[in-house]
Amino acid sequence: MILLGELALWIALPVGIWGAVAGFVGGRKERGDLVLSGEHCVYAVFFLLVLTSAGIITAFVTDNFEYWYVANYSNRELPLFYKVAGLWAGQRGSLVFWVLLLSFFSAAAVFTNRTKNREFMPYVVGVLLTISSFFLVVLLFADVNPFERLPFAPADGRGLNPQLQNYWMTIHPPTLYLGFTAFTIPFAFAMSALLSGKLDTRWILITRRWILLSWFFLANGIIFGMRWAYEMLGWGGFWFWDPVENASLLPWLAATAFLHSIQIQENRGMLKVWNMGLVTLTFLLTIFATFLTRSGLIESVHTFAENTKIAFIFLAFMGVMAGCSALLIAWRYPQLKSENQIQSFLSRESAFLFNNLILLGAAFSILWGTLFPLITEGLTGTAIAVGPPFFNRVNLPIGLALMALMGIGPVIAWRRASRRNLVKNFRMPVIVGLMVVAALFLRGVHHGMALLTFGLSAFVMTIIIVEFVKGTKARARIEGEGHLLALYHLVSRNRRRWGGYIVHVGVVMIFTAFAGVAFNRELIQTVDPGDTITIGSPFGHEYTLTYQGLSSPRGKNMVRQAVALMTVERNGRPIESLTAEKVLYVKWESSPLTIVGINSYILEDLYLILENVNDLGGAFENEAGAQRATFKVQVNVLVGWIWYGGFVVTLGGIIAMWPSRGSTRTAPRTKTGGKRPALAARS
Amino acid sequence: MKENGKFFVGLGGVALVVTYLIWTGVSESMLYYLTPVELMARVEQDPTFHQVGVKVSGRVERGSWSRAEDELLHHFTVIDLLDESVRFPVEYRDILPDTFNDTENVDVVIEGRFREDGVFEATVVLAKCGSRYEATAEELLG
Repeated sequence: MILLGELALWIALPVGIWGAVAGFVGGRKERGDLVLSGEHCVYAVFFLLVLTSAGIITAFVTDNFEYWYVANYSNRELPLFYKVAGLWAGQRGSLVFWVLLLSFFSAAAVFTNRTKNREFMPYVVGVLLTISSFFLVVLLFADVNPFERLPFAPADGRGLNPQLQNYWMTIHPPTLYLGFTAFTIPFAFAMSALLSGKLDTRWILITRRWILLSWFFLANGIIFGMRWAYEMLGWGGFWFWDPVENASLLPWLAATAFLHSIQIQENRGMLKVWNMGLVTLTFLLTIFATFLTRSGLIESVHTFAENTKIAFIFLAFMGVMAGCSALLIAWRYPQLKSENQIQSFLSRESAFLFNNLILLGAAFSILWGTLFPLITEGLTGTAIAVGPPFFNRVNLPIGLALMALMGIGPVIAWRRASRRNLVKNFRMPVIVGLMVVAALFLRGVHHGMALLTFGLSAFVMTIIIVEFVKGTKARARIEGEGHLLALYHLVSRNRRRWGGYIVHVGVVMIFTAFAGVAFNRELIQTVDPGDTITIGSPFGHEYTLTYQGLSSPRGKNMVRQAVALMTVERNGRPIESLTAEKVLYVKWESSPLTIVGINSYILEDLYLILENVNDLGGAFENEAGAQRATFKVQVNVLVGWIWYGGFVVTLGGIIAMWPSRGSTRTAPRTKTGGKRPALAARS
Repeated sequence: MKENGKFFVGLGGVALVVTYLIWTGVSESMLYYLTPVELMARVEQDPTFHQVGVKVSGRVERGSWSRAEDELLHHFTVIDLLDESVRFPVEYRDILPDTFNDTENVDVVIEGRFREDGVFEATVVLAKCGSRYEATAEELLG
């Protein structure tokens, strides 16, 4: 099986290259047989990569440490779960996983378009297989072959980094990768539109769901990453503006901008060049993120030379892709003229354009901050770094502006907003926002930025709720339906619009949660069994934690475990107790892993970190005298709203993507939502 | 055309604001990112460098870590990755990351200030077990 997998990887490359050539030539010469051959290659590459991945997983599961990759990321005692996840634990496997997902999506795109949109497919096949082939070349020739063998088979592997031995490990990276790879499909269609000269909005309509799908996975991937950091990394936060985190955020920001700007092209025939540029930029950022998350290029500025080969290959590929797409856009420029002009500063087009500019501004600032050490070192010889204060400072105002636009964009009129439109739509939300700010201020919240965030949240929420209520009422009246049924029909008639609003609600919840950080409290204390730690919540109540001592069970793949137990009282009433641990994993005996304890409530989390055990060796041996320990206790305000918001984003995303009955895709869409006439055909 | 003009002024305004934010953000939070060798050279040249925040990447000297009893005060020594004779003591008062230890070759990035008394007062410590991420054939044999 393993050999078969290795063989499949080698066969996949010529198949991919042939398919890419067949696609391009077939499209150019209008040779149907070549195009079909190319499409078969797409399926074949997917099949071959399934074999390759199965080969790698087999090597992991059968403890075949003869393979360098397995020996580095697994050990005999590692639970099966993590052996399977070994496929994406390191750089080599991740690259295979990346092509596997891309080839899966490619096959899905070819399959769903086997009888329609045929004029796009030759070049789509060509572009997709070119990208797959690039990754296959990297895998086979850039010293990252996952099937590289050692001259001997070690008795045991070196084990998986304990920080990866957590269930989020099996969820977070695949979700992000799904988002990265899914975006290749819209990019391929865009390039195909340029190559074939089909420059109307069809490529956007065809790939709308793909764009949403990619966005959806990116958003979830990022949220899962925050959750992982919060649960696993043991420092009490969820985001550190670490280069790898930033890299995953960049394509999401660009994809968000793209998701909005295509609506202007669909509705007003504007921004054609911009959208072509944006789809390319987003695609390049997904490649950049893939490359950055696994190469460690930025953290280790001073060991940059180690990764030179793969870094240059990737940079060259990105350069070629950017160059090709720029040339194609320049070539088709005359056909990409805007059909309309901006008519008013106060219009939905304008709001969407500002949203685009601000999102890209955020992306640029994050990219700039992440690459700053490299840039300054290149220019001046001395690296200068910027830390979290930089990113927070720049992105806080940007985030607030985005929130404001999230409220304004959906209800301001297209073309030109009248004074009446503005007053009618914004009077009440502004009043609600101001009232929330005033109420919070009177209750003792005096943090300026947080107040602004809460006020804007209330503003946006009011706008969205009013939209839902208005739409439902209108429909109930016109159709004579009950309100729940009317709401259901309202949403299902224009899923993208109403799903989008629900996504906005989720995003507002997440932004609100970020503001909660301003009110966090923390305390560090060393205690003996029986001692208590008391920490107040900003909501007025008080937690009392009583230290009950350490125990040392032994879990799977662990050498030793020290578990501290705290009973907890809230204003004197006992509530759920907390445990916090230090664990020594097999093969990682020198660095114990910290496992935190979290009690989650609606408005805050009580978060416990076992910082240090005075005599950890003694504690592992269950010695009675070795119980003194140091804890960090935090009250993390509103942090749960990130995860609740994540659920809402997921719900909205699914609603927006849900396949609609019949083919209303290319029909012109009305913007009146629930006020659609009752006669609309139920197809 | 008039509306378009207004619009572009608006867009330009946004671009300016973002640029301004980046500019001030950089100048207020920038840190020199140095190796221990570079840090020593800088301080030698310009004593005011003791006041400036810096970020230094180096390696934890084996066996150098100690912790004050009942307190979150850590002491360890950082050495240069290439020139092991260049070293300085570090003082850090918070939770060390799990990847930190002084029994293996652990690479660290520390942020803080190199005080006049020759002690580096760190506010941030990031650790990476350089040798643990990927091993060579020889290391796997052992």
